[in-house]
Amino acid sequence: MTESTAVQSNEAASFAQKSASQTFNRLLKYTAVRLVTLFVTVVIGVYLTILIANMGGYVDQILKGEIRQGISTAVSMDPALRELSVEQRSEMIADRIRIEEERLGLNRPFAIRSLTYLWNALRLEFGRAMNMTSDSGSRLVKNIILERLPSTLVLFGLSNLALFFTSVFLALALSRHYGSFIDKAVVALSPTSAAPPWFYGIFLILIFAALLRWLPFGGMVAAPPPDNPFEYALSLMRHMILPASSLILSSIFLSIYNWRTFFLIYSSEDYVEMAKAKGLNSRDIERRYILRPTLPTIITSFALLLIGLWGGAIITETVFNWPGLGRTVFRAIGQYDTPVIVASTIIFAYLLAVTVFLLDFIYALVDPRVKVGGN
Amino acid sequence: MAEKNLLTIKDLVLYFRTSKGAVKAVDKVNFELGFREAVVVLGESGCGKTSLAKALLRLLPRNVEAYSGSIVLDGLDTMALNDEEYRQQIRWVRMSLVPQAAMNSLNPVLRVGDQVAEPMMVHHGVKKEEALEQAKKMFQHVGVPADFLTRYAFELSGGMRQRVAIAMSLVTAPSLIVLDEPTSALDVLTQANIFNVLKRIKKELEISFILITHDIATSSELADRVAVMYAGQIIESSDAMGFFTEPLHPYSQMLMASVPRLRGDKEPIFITGQPPSLLNPPTGCRFADRCPQRFGKCDQEPPVFEKEGRLVKCWLYE
Repeated sequence: MTESTAVQSNEAASFAQKSASQTFNRLLKYTAVRLVTLFVTVVIGVYLTILIANMGGYVDQILKGEIRQGISTAVSMDPALRELSVEQRSEMIADRIRIEEERLGLNRPFAIRSLTYLWNALRLEFGRAMNMTSDSGSRLVKNIILERLPSTLVLFGLSNLALFFTSVFLALALSRHYGSFIDKAVVALSPTSAAPPWFYGIFLILIFAALLRWLPFGGMVAAPPPDNPFEYALSLMRHMILPASSLILSSIFLSIYNWRTFFLIYSSEDYVEMAKAKGLNSRDIERRYILRPTLPTIITSFALLLIGLWGGAIITETVFNWPGLGRTVFRAIGQYDTPVIVASTIIFAYLLAVTVFLLDFIYALVDPRVKVGGN
Repeated sequence: MAEKNLLTIKDLVLYFRTSKGAVKAVDKVNFELGFREAVVVLGESGCGKTSLAKALLRLLPRNVEAYSGSIVLDGLDTMALNDEEYRQQIRWVRMSLVPQAAMNSLNPVLRVGDQVAEPMMVHHGVKKEEALEQAKKMFQHVGVPADFLTRYAFELSGGMRQRVAIAMSLVTAPSLIVLDEPTSALDVLTQANIFNVLKRIKKELEISFILITHDIATSSELADRVAVMYAGQIIESSDAMGFFTEPLHPYSQMLMASVPRLRGDKEPIFITGQPPSLLNPPTGCRFADRCPQRFGKCDQEPPVFEKEGRLVKCWLYE
């Protein structure tokens, strides 16, 4: 009797062990497959960006033309070279063009160069920009981008976080007061989000900077920047009020409307009514019966919002003269500065891939119905 | 005056607002229920049975047009309570609910044990361990293995979920449980199982039931009394023995005759026509249009007549 129980418990233990190792194997396999597929996606995306940013190689022609023209003009205008004969001069021009083309790598065929770009990009070796320099004079793409990153994050990060949490919590409150005056007002105001942030920005500048003279027109800090870090922060805050308000103002109503509708759908679930019947207070109902089951959606939205900060907003930055990433990339596109464009894209691609990868595991953590790698 | 009834409902009204006008889902319902008694509320779909359950538990949708009457439960006038008092004193303390669709009435992302234990923690302020202990006891009562406490709803079969829902309704030991079609989504074997569970609980825990169903055959097992609902009103209310052997109201008679029987040559009879719209119910007897025994007086609304201690709303018993 005892023996058979022992055998049984042994069997049970080995079974548990087996299932644990099975789970581990399944996880491992899933992770590997997922990583490979995501990596392939990133490679394809980045290669397409390289092709597009170079206009399939046509940018080479443009650059070659620019080099040819620039050097011919420079040589023919240089008074020191007046003495040379026409042949000598054209030889000199050809020579300089060759050197410049070699410097930029334009002497090799584009098909091969695109692969080098890809390889470098995937290793996050962004190299040097073609023409652009960072504000401190560096030609390294890394410096050009890193220099703009803090200013982008501080403005868009803060305003988007504020926007996200305000709208989720206001929406939750509204969904419980469906049909109230505020609810109707929010719904009625939601079309205001059709206008982009810079549109509101222009009006805010007009009112608060031009007419009332309360706040600065644009820029990130006062000129010259205060030395004291506290005053610097204060000045930064003052400069952030208008751009942040325009960013929030332009999407708050639509965002609340969205989340409110979302929460309304989930508050009509039977288990929410059941929770109400059970006499739970409304805070517990909101927390455990509405927010908890919808957590995967909220987390997804939040994660995508975070990586969406990468890139900034071109026109809003321009309107407020804000030194953000959006303007940098915009300038890079205008100047065919492919290394900068590619760098910005690959960082976004990696961020997206990592987020998607992590989200799968987060889902499995917050929702018991989701099993990583399960069918 | 000592209260002899657990529950007394007088003139309970619940109207819903729609674009076409008010839907009179529960229209002046009167109703009494004693201690340790099970009453079955019978009726076909759309006659206001579920609305009655909602009105009892004050689980009102947003489009309520009218909600009035008096509900006295355990000597406490519930209609006089505000929402917060109602939540603290009635919900799951005196009255609990087993919902119609137990499939969706469990939160998919919380363990069922926690959900069953939750009302204990909310209403009796006990610690989680204690509440779970109580939940475990209730699981035993309804025949769910104790290790199911840590499972999630999606890991349970339909029958098990319904048992969990019943365990949940029992956990705070309320004096009244409203069962809103607790078995209508289950197969016959599971239905029989659940009814056995309910019968046992009624004996062991001395709880009163309001069982709302359209299933005459299975409900007869549990009923002490029967109330028949038609078009938002209770048209007959009587003891179970009397009702199942000799229903009084023509509608009840036809309802009983519609139950198929294995033996006997009687064909099951169906009632022709549809119940009247609850938007504009007829002014007279609401069943008159479909009634084979109608006569002149049926154009006026019948009062409730008493016959041998049974109540029936029909002119035939004047």
